[in-house]
Amino acid sequence: MRYADAGDRTGPIRYHGPQIARNDKHMQNKFRGVMQSPVTPLKDDFSLDLPTFERLLDFHVRAGAPAISWPHHKGESLNLTIDERKLFAEAAVKVVGGRVPVTIHVSALAVEDTMALARHAQAIGADGILAITPYFWAPTVEAIEAYFTRLCRFIDLPVLSYNSPSYLNGVEITGELMARLIDTLPNFVGVKEASFNSEKFLEISRAALVLRPNFAMLTGVEFLLPSVPLGGVGSYSAAGSICPNLCNELFDTCITGEWAKARELQYKMTRLWHLFKDQYPSSLKGGMVIMGRPVGPTRAPLPTATPERQAYIRAQLEDLGIVATEPHGW
Amino acid sequence: MIFDPGLVHAPLTPFSPDRRIDFALYERIIAFHLRYGAQALAVPMHVGESVSLTDAERRALIEFAVERAANVPVMAHVSDAGTGIAAALAQHAQRARAAAIIATTPYYWTPPPDMVLQHFSQIGAAVDLPFFVLNAPDDMAGSKINAALAVKLIGKLPNFCGVIDSSLDWQFMTELLTEAGRVRPDFVLIAGNELMVSAGAIGARGMMSALAVIAPKLVSELAVLCHAQKFFEARALQERAAALRQVVKQGGVATLKAAAGIMGRDCGAPRPPLLPLDAAAEKKLAVKLATLPFLTAEPHGW
Repeated sequence: MRYADAGDRTGPIRYHGPQIARNDKHMQNKFRGVMQSPVTPLKDDFSLDLPTFERLLDFHVRAGAPAISWPHHKGESLNLTIDERKLFAEAAVKVVGGRVPVTIHVSALAVEDTMALARHAQAIGADGILAITPYFWAPTVEAIEAYFTRLCRFIDLPVLSYNSPSYLNGVEITGELMARLIDTLPNFVGVKEASFNSEKFLEISRAALVLRPNFAMLTGVEFLLPSVPLGGVGSYSAAGSICPNLCNELFDTCITGEWAKARELQYKMTRLWHLFKDQYPSSLKGGMVIMGRPVGPTRAPLPTATPERQAYIRAQLEDLGIVATEPHGW
Repeated sequence: MIFDPGLVHAPLTPFSPDRRIDFALYERIIAFHLRYGAQALAVPMHVGESVSLTDAERRALIEFAVERAANVPVMAHVSDAGTGIAAALAQHAQRARAAAIIATTPYYWTPPPDMVLQHFSQIGAAVDLPFFVLNAPDDMAGSKINAALAVKLIGKLPNFCGVIDSSLDWQFMTELLTEAGRVRPDFVLIAGNELMVSAGAIGARGMMSALAVIAPKLVSELAVLCHAQKFFEARALQERAAALRQVVKQGGVATLKAAAGIMGRDCGAPRPPLLPLDAAAEKKLAVKLATLPFLTAEPHGW
């Protein structure tokens, strides 16, 4: 598959069909592989750009995303109003049209908004929701337990939790809490574990997988090489709008244990992560311009990538071989 | 300069009731580690209470370990607050025929990056031995290194051959091997503890173990599988090591020494300011260790 506007030096999308169909032993859980969480396209006046969002969703599905999840922090979730989030959530479910599962990230500053977004996700036919531990209040373990318990009982959809201690001042889901939640909540099906730390990942995976073997142990961004050998079944994607081929190849090599190749790909992915982590997701949106998929500016307080920053990103993407091997345009 | 030590055991330092180093017992501890799979020793690491030893004691310990370890390489841990003191310890280690030196960021000073660079540069330049930087932010009040520092050190020190990482941080390890590997392809990452599977998958070539005094067979089998790149097969052993680590982690060296005693290898009490576990805490520890069935396969006694 090659796109009409792809120049000679750009690579095609290497799409082998949805990753969910690969590797039978992991068939139990539909949340696996490098799942794509689209950025939120904005017009120059910072209002939502629905047509570009629809294009982007379709691009991700055609490029082999095993699932779609929106709006992660990368999608500027906290800079969108609740009404805007509902509008684009509906678009996501509609455009994806059942080709792959769609989960809605419902984390909001106010827990009551989270509950409303979760109900809305269920009403529009989403396949699941994702929720981080509550923001700001430094909740105790008991408060986190009460939060997830209420959320899971509020809807019938599968619920994925999100553990991100480095962004939330050490607030985290412990292994013991994970075991209690799994024990009491049948729709508590996975975790986006974003500590990027062996001990934390193992603490949760040891507690979870013995109780629910198909529990989805996912990493925050594409750190598949260190997580897959420990029971990880995938990740959400930071760089997927730039390099969907690399995402899918990295997952395949990890799942099949091709360690030398996986290491090479993981190192490349890590260089991309460090490139985009700086001013995330502004740098990512800047990189998408270079890949022929412009999605507009970033809402304040996040900066928008300057032309100088874009030039730097272009040089890095060329050096990494991304421009030559990944799809250009929509 | 390549130094690839494989499985490195980090022994405890035993003290007699009058708080002197018990060299007779230390000899026994070293012999135990050598018998149960140590391919190198690291002496005295934080788990060996390095910070509670006098300068003279550290030197004596390294000389003793080198002599008793015979052909097994001894890596000398020379970390200190003062750069000059650490560099002098490094020079002593070289004279004592240690195989390599290890240093972490300076104690106490909450050093900014330039200070850390100078500190390591001077320690490394003081010797011709292979030099490893220990990245242990949990031990060092958050003080840590990054890949950029490693690249700068490679430019300054031909003997800077690797990092021992206790951070368990996937981002750091991956970035380190990506960046350092580009300028020094034989750069070595050693996992600073027994959580080896992720580190090994990322590219770590060795492992440093304090838990070997409790479960040397488990540690050895884990190291063998990881060395063979059998990471899926190593998962069950990794989960056991994580479970053991979780039990002994709280309380640090005092807990580790108590656990060694429960395994029939009395290594004495820690030195002040560390306090030994009281009887109730020790009983609780014994109960927790008894919930780990795999420990029955480990040696009891020496």
